[in-house]
Amino acid sequence: MAAGPYNYSYIFKYIIIGDMGVGKSCLLHQFTEKKFMADCPHTIGVEFGTRIIEVSGQKIKLQIWDTAGQERFRAVTRSYYRGAAGALMVYDITRRSTYNHLSSWLTDARNLTNPNTVIFLIGNKSDLEAQRDVTYEEAKQFADENECSAKTGDNVEDAFLDTAKKIYQNIQDGSLDLNAAESGVQHKPATPRNPLNTDQTPSKEGCAC
Amino acid sequence: MERIINDIVEPEDLKKYELLYNDQTRRGHASDKAQFDYAWCLVRSKYLEDMKRGVALFEDLIRRAKDDIERRDYLYYMSIGYTKIKEYQQALTYVKALLKIEPNNYQALELEKYIEKKMKKEGIMGIAIVSGAVLALGGLIGLGVAMSKK
Ligand SMILES: Nc1nc2c(ncn2[C@@H]2O[C@H](COP(=O)(O)OP(=O)(O)OP(=O)(O)O)[C@@H](O)[C@H]2O)c(=O)[nH]1
Ligand SMILES: [Mg+2]
Repeated sequence: MAAGPYNYSYIFKYIIIGDMGVGKSCLLHQFTEKKFMADCPHTIGVEFGTRIIEVSGQKIKLQIWDTAGQERFRAVTRSYYRGAAGALMVYDITRRSTYNHLSSWLTDARNLTNPNTVIFLIGNKSDLEAQRDVTYEEAKQFADENECSAKTGDNVEDAFLDTAKKIYQNIQDGSLDLNAAESGVQHKPATPRNPLNTDQTPSKEGCAC
Repeated sequence: MERIINDIVEPEDLKKYELLYNDQTRRGHASDKAQFDYAWCLVRSKYLEDMKRGVALFEDLIRRAKDDIERRDYLYYMSIGYTKIKEYQQALTYVKALLKIEPNNYQALELEKYIEKKMKKEGIMGIAIVSGAVLALGGLIGLGVAMSKK
């Protein structure tokens, strides 16, 4: 694990936003640890996780900030939007109110990130088909979206990967300027800030991936 | 956890919430929300004095907290603050108090692990085990006072 300083060539910063209880933290844990937490308390402020993925043969490290959906954290969480390359905007397909609030989440995301930030819509809890409150067709009209389940893991990978592919594409075609201060993308930084072997616990930040 | 502990506030955020808080204080009384937002910025500052001030503001908030939901948030940030100040003893006390409210809280469990690792590394585990024993929440207020006298 202490091998080379880097085993990836890009770092993308992501944020996960949306109403409380839609499953943002569960999505993060499912993506970084392939685990589902059935009884997950509300996030305090923000959580952080990382995972290395591959897009077009390039290793990319995703640094993911999972924000608290509760209103009283709004000031806290807003400061994490800055410099995000990707924003996963999540609602719960079994609760229409979480879908109705998307426009305000989208406004925040648009105002607080840069124009190139890739915003991806996710309808979570697709395993609860019987309780569905928002149809796929309806959501599809609002934006390009992906339905997934943090519980079964269905489509969770795709949500994170498709966002990365889009960001990578923006880099390739030059629409995302890597030198811009808040692009949310780093290209293989010169010196590691946290040497990989300082943290021995195999936590999601330990980057054992 | 490392990343959360080392996360530094944007100077413009700190300034913004400081202005809000000071403004309200000047006009009589700062709201809990203004105090919370400002304290949260202070705890994430680079400067020791700011961190201490942030923790003190949270100690004040927790005294007035209405329920465990509020208390939980304050305890978490107090524990983060003390971890940054390297007063691991207090950090551990507060995170344990949080775990009493929410035993499965993943963020608190990670923080507890992190603090214990730091203590072991810095060789101050002995005393920690004795007084780190779970404190009743009621005891916290007294403790807060005792600590601020330091
Ligand atoms: N059935 C089902 N339940 C889920 C799914 N994802 C999350 N949950 C449950 O929904 C609840 C809320 O999930 P969280 O991940 O804590 O929600 P959150 O969006 O992080 O909430 P905040 O942190 O308060 O913003 C938990 O009890 C989860 O077990 C899913 O895909 N299917
Ligand atoms: Mg959460």
